[in-house]
Order: sequence, then C-alpha cells, then structure tokens
Amino acid sequence: MMAHLMRSIRVVVVKEVVDALRDRRTLLRLLVPAVLMGPLLLMALSGFIASLEERAERREIMVSGIEHAPTLRNYLERQTYTIKTAPADYEAMLSAATLLEPVLVVSDQFEVELLEGEHPRVELVSDSTNQRAAAGLRGLQRLLTGFNQERVGLTLALRGISSGLLQPVAVEERDLASLQARATRITTIIPMFIIMAVLYGALTAALDSTAGERERGSLEPLLMNPVQPMALVVGKWCAVAILGMAVAFIASMSFIPAQWLIKSDSMQAMFQFGMPEVIAFCLLQLPLAAGLGAVLMAVAIRSKTFKEAQASSGLVIMLVSLAPMVTMLNPGGDAPWYLWVPGLAQNTLMMLVLKGESLSVSQVLPGIVVGAALLVACLIYVARSMRMAVAR
Amino acid sequence: MIQIDNVSKQFVVAGTAKPFRRGAKQVIQAVQGVRLHAPNGRITGLLGPNGAGKTTTLRMLGALFPPDSGSITVDGIAVAQQPRQALARMGILGDSHGLYPRLTARENVVYFGRLQGMEIDAAHARAQELSRLLDMASILERRAEGFSQGERMKTALARALVHDPANIVLDEPTNGLDVLATRALREALRYLRSAEGGNKCIVFSTHIMPEVQQLCEHVVVMAQGRSVAEGTVEELLAQTGEVNFEDAFVKLAFEAKTGGEFA
Repeated sequence: MMAHLMRSIRVVVVKEVVDALRDRRTLLRLLVPAVLMGPLLLMALSGFIASLEERAERREIMVSGIEHAPTLRNYLERQTYTIKTAPADYEAMLSAATLLEPVLVVSDQFEVELLEGEHPRVELVSDSTNQRAAAGLRGLQRLLTGFNQERVGLTLALRGISSGLLQPVAVEERDLASLQARATRITTIIPMFIIMAVLYGALTAALDSTAGERERGSLEPLLMNPVQPMALVVGKWCAVAILGMAVAFIASMSFIPAQWLIKSDSMQAMFQFGMPEVIAFCLLQLPLAAGLGAVLMAVAIRSKTFKEAQASSGLVIMLVSLAPMVTMLNPGGDAPWYLWVPGLAQNTLMMLVLKGESLSVSQVLPGIVVGAALLVACLIYVARSMRMAVAR
Repeated sequence: MIQIDNVSKQFVVAGTAKPFRRGAKQVIQAVQGVRLHAPNGRITGLLGPNGAGKTTTLRMLGALFPPDSGSITVDGIAVAQQPRQALARMGILGDSHGLYPRLTARENVVYFGRLQGMEIDAAHARAQELSRLLDMASILERRAEGFSQGERMKTALARALVHDPANIVLDEPTNGLDVLATRALREALRYLRSAEGGNKCIVFSTHIMPEVQQLCEHVVVMAQGRSVAEGTVEELLAQTGEVNFEDAFVKLAFEAKTGGEFA
C-alpha cells in the first residue's frame, strides 16, 4: 500500500517537473528576473556608494558667490577642498537631478557682515528627492560647523579664553556593528529577492497543476486512474516545492558572481556572500517553499481557469513578498512574532545570516512549524477540492 | 462486464442570484433509476439527447462521485466501495479528455500507464501497440500542443486503453471528428469487441443515431435522466412501430416525458 503510494507520487513528481521544465517561455520569464534583478540592484547600489566615496575623496564643493567670502574660501582651501563655482541655474538642475551635489550659496554681504559680527547667512541648497545631492549635505554641514568653530576659537583666543571652554564634553564616535552588520544596511534587499524567487518559482507550477489542469480538462481523466487523490496532490506539491527551491537556489547563487562586479571597495569588503550563505539561505527557504507551494495550490484549485487562479493568488504573493517591508517600517528591532509570519520569518533569519550571526533552534523552529501546518492543512484541502472540482 | 442498477443522483445548485444575495438553492434530479447492463464482447450504446444524464451516469461509473442510490459494479466489483480496483478494470474516455500539451503523445499515454501501475517498459511497449491499432505512429513523438481534434481524440483513447482494460467506456468519442477519423474509431472499437481484440465490454454514449445503428448491438435510450427503453435497434423500431430509427428515438426520448415509465 505504502510502496504503491510512494511509487504513484514519484510518477506524478517526474511528470510535473518535466512538464514545467518544458514550458521554456514561462521558465525564462521566471528565471531572468530572479537571476538578474538582485545582482543588478546590488550593482546599482554599489555604484551609488562608490560615487559617494569618490566625492568624499575628491574633496570638491560647489559654491555660488564664493568671491564675496575670501575668509571662507581660505578656510575651505586649508581643508584641501577644491572650490567649484555653481552653474547659474543650479536650482533647476538640482530639481531635475542633473546636478548631483548640494550647493553652498554665499550672499554678497558675507565678508562685511562676518567682520562686523553680524551673523552672515549662507544657504545649503539641495533637493530631498535628489538623493545623491541630499546625501552630500551632511559633509557640507560638517565643513561649515568646522568653519564656525574656528572663527569662535580665534575670537576667544584673542580675548585670552581657552577654546576648550566651548566644548566641555569631548565627543568621539565608536561603531559597534561588525563590518558585515554594517553591510546589511545596504544588503537588506537581498532576502526580499530570494523570497520573491521562491514564490514566483512555485507559482506557475502550482497554478498549472491545479487550475491549469482543470482548464485543460485533464483533471477528470487524471482522477479516473486507480491512484489515491492524496498521492496525486503530494506528487504535484513536491514538484511545486522543488521548482520554488530551484529558482531560490539559482537566485541565491547569482549573488556570488554579482559581488565581483561591486564597484565600491569598502562595500566589497563588507558584503561577504559565499557558498555557506547560499546553503543557509536555501535551507531557510524550505519551510516557505513547502508551505506556500501548498497554499498556492489550495487557492488555485478553487479556480476554473488559470487566469482566475492568477488573480486570486495575487493576494498571497503580494502579502508574502511585502512582508519583509514590516522590518523597514518598524526599524525598532525585530519583534518575536516576526518569526511566525511566513516571508517575514525567512527575511528576519536571512538578515541574521547576512550579519554573520549564528541561528538558534528557537529562531528557526517557528518558521518550520508554520510551514508544516500550512502544508498539511492545504494538501488535505486540495485533495478534497479536486474531486469536488470535477463533480461540478 | 458493467452493471448499472437503478442509479439516481441529485445535484444542489445555487439558483439565480440577485446582487448581494445568494439565490435559493435548487435541486436538480440529474439521473433517476438508470439501468444499464453491458456484458463482455458487446458494444452497448447509451443514446440520449443533450442533458439526458449520460455524462453524469458515466462519471459515477468512473467513481468521480457516488450515486445517491443504486449500485454500479464492474466485473463484480462495486465502484462505490472499491473505486481503485474498479477503475483498474476500466478504460474511460470521459466528457473532458484534455491532454498535457507539453508532453508528447507517447508521454501522455505512458504517464497514465504508470499511474495504472504499469512498469515503464511495459507502458512504452503498450503505447507502441496502441499507436498501431489507432494509426497514430506519425504523432507518437510529437507534443500534443498542435494536435488536431482527431489526433487529440486518438491520443486520449490510447491513454484510456493503456492498461488493456477489460471494460471500455467512451463518452461521445466522435464529437468533432471527421468522417475518416470516425470510421477509424469504429473499426478500432469493432476489433476490440471481437475475440482477437480481447472480447471487451464496450459502453458507448452518443446522441448521434447513425453511429448507434452502425456500431451498437444493444442500445439503452436515456431521456430526462431516466433510461426509457432498451434493446437492439430492430427491437426498438418494432417497439415504436417506426421504420426510421430517428423517428423511433424521438418517440422514445421525447414522448416518454409525459408517458409512463419504461419497465
């Protein structure tokens, strides 16, 4: 009995996998984004960071009206900055994001007011939607604070007061995050892509083997074979989970060559993604692929056509792939319930792997329990609904 | 041998719904007291107009859902109690007989053979044999994607016959087939019924009169969910006093509505 069941399951799995792999067009549509999206984004991000680093190294600032402020120019040049004159239409260019650095605007009366102690005003112009320009703002602010402090220091020194009085507390920064942990600030997107890869890998197979089978009219003859419905369902589900895992594996693997393309040296040093990470990622996806494969099948078996099934599975896909967003909206740290939500749990655990932390059983177990519960409930439901689907 | 005795089936369907309100449930008596005995070595026709309950009856025979009352046995095995054993003894070409478009005709056939419990070599050998019988050598290694109606039907039939079942059930198999394909199918069925072909029990449902006349030794006429008459074509003609079988059928199927039940 058991041997017969296992044999039937094997026959169904082989057929479903072959069937899915023959669907070249869908497969390509699935693999191209899964393989390319993550690495492409990684590259884009690294390019962004590299350009920031480059700017910091170049030590250039863009100023409008520097001719009115010889003292400031002197200070800036002593800090080894090169001063570039801003183009006349810098405001429009900043808004249009064609100018990628903030602009320091100095008024004509700057030098006169400075010497008379009248608090001359400078403006730091950027556009918060122009991210690269906005990112340069902080450096510019620091520079001007330095200028202010020097001026104050000089004035006090002239009056015989120690400049130390102005700074009763000495502040020094120390970043406790490990090198890898710092990198995860940038690599938070990777787990999201892996989760999406699982979902999209499983989706087509799940819909095709349920709603697709109904639409083609092949479900009825299939059920008239002397096989337990559960054997058919488990066989189909295995194929779905295998395909989800395969796409997830390929997507994880694609980050290995992707890191050779990372432009920023410091990011390359921070982002360590090797075979151990790939294996950990894939193992963490197992409960997700198993549970959600079954959920997608359960959603699809109710639909008469592939199209209808796609519409109803859209919600599941959206909820799970957006679940990682919760961590971004709630930066206060990981709540314990995260580990019980499919998608979010995997995201949280993958982030820990990226941070280079080790996982405990109590962290991994909730995801497995939820995945297994979804799996059992949904497969029983599909086995029952399959019969009803043809009876109607 | 297939025996269907006094089988009835009701369906509950939702009635016409108004916005935001579900329609009242309606009970539809799909099949009532249907009786059909099909011995081995005979082609038994199940003749009835559209909606007479032929497909519902054959689906119950295929164990897709149980009848409300009555019994169905295949070679003495009760379908409701031992569905898998009964299904192993039947080859059913049902109302819907979709193929897997990305598999070749041979793979479609072998897949069902495997699900019937056949070894892979035996299933391949059988596919080869059926391709000779049904004249489908040219499509055997082609994917089902671009098949014509006739090619699809042949493949579906081969798939149903892969395990060499003693009982063959065909639900309107000639739908959409051209003359040549229908002829070839008829020949194949005659062969399967004959002693060389294995003396199969064949149940053949249709709404096309000439087919019944040419092929079936015994006919069960169904109308309004009931079996209203049975016998050879000649017997039915005699019973109604008609010379034309079509007239006889119309009389039996449509005038029986008001009249008494066929005993």
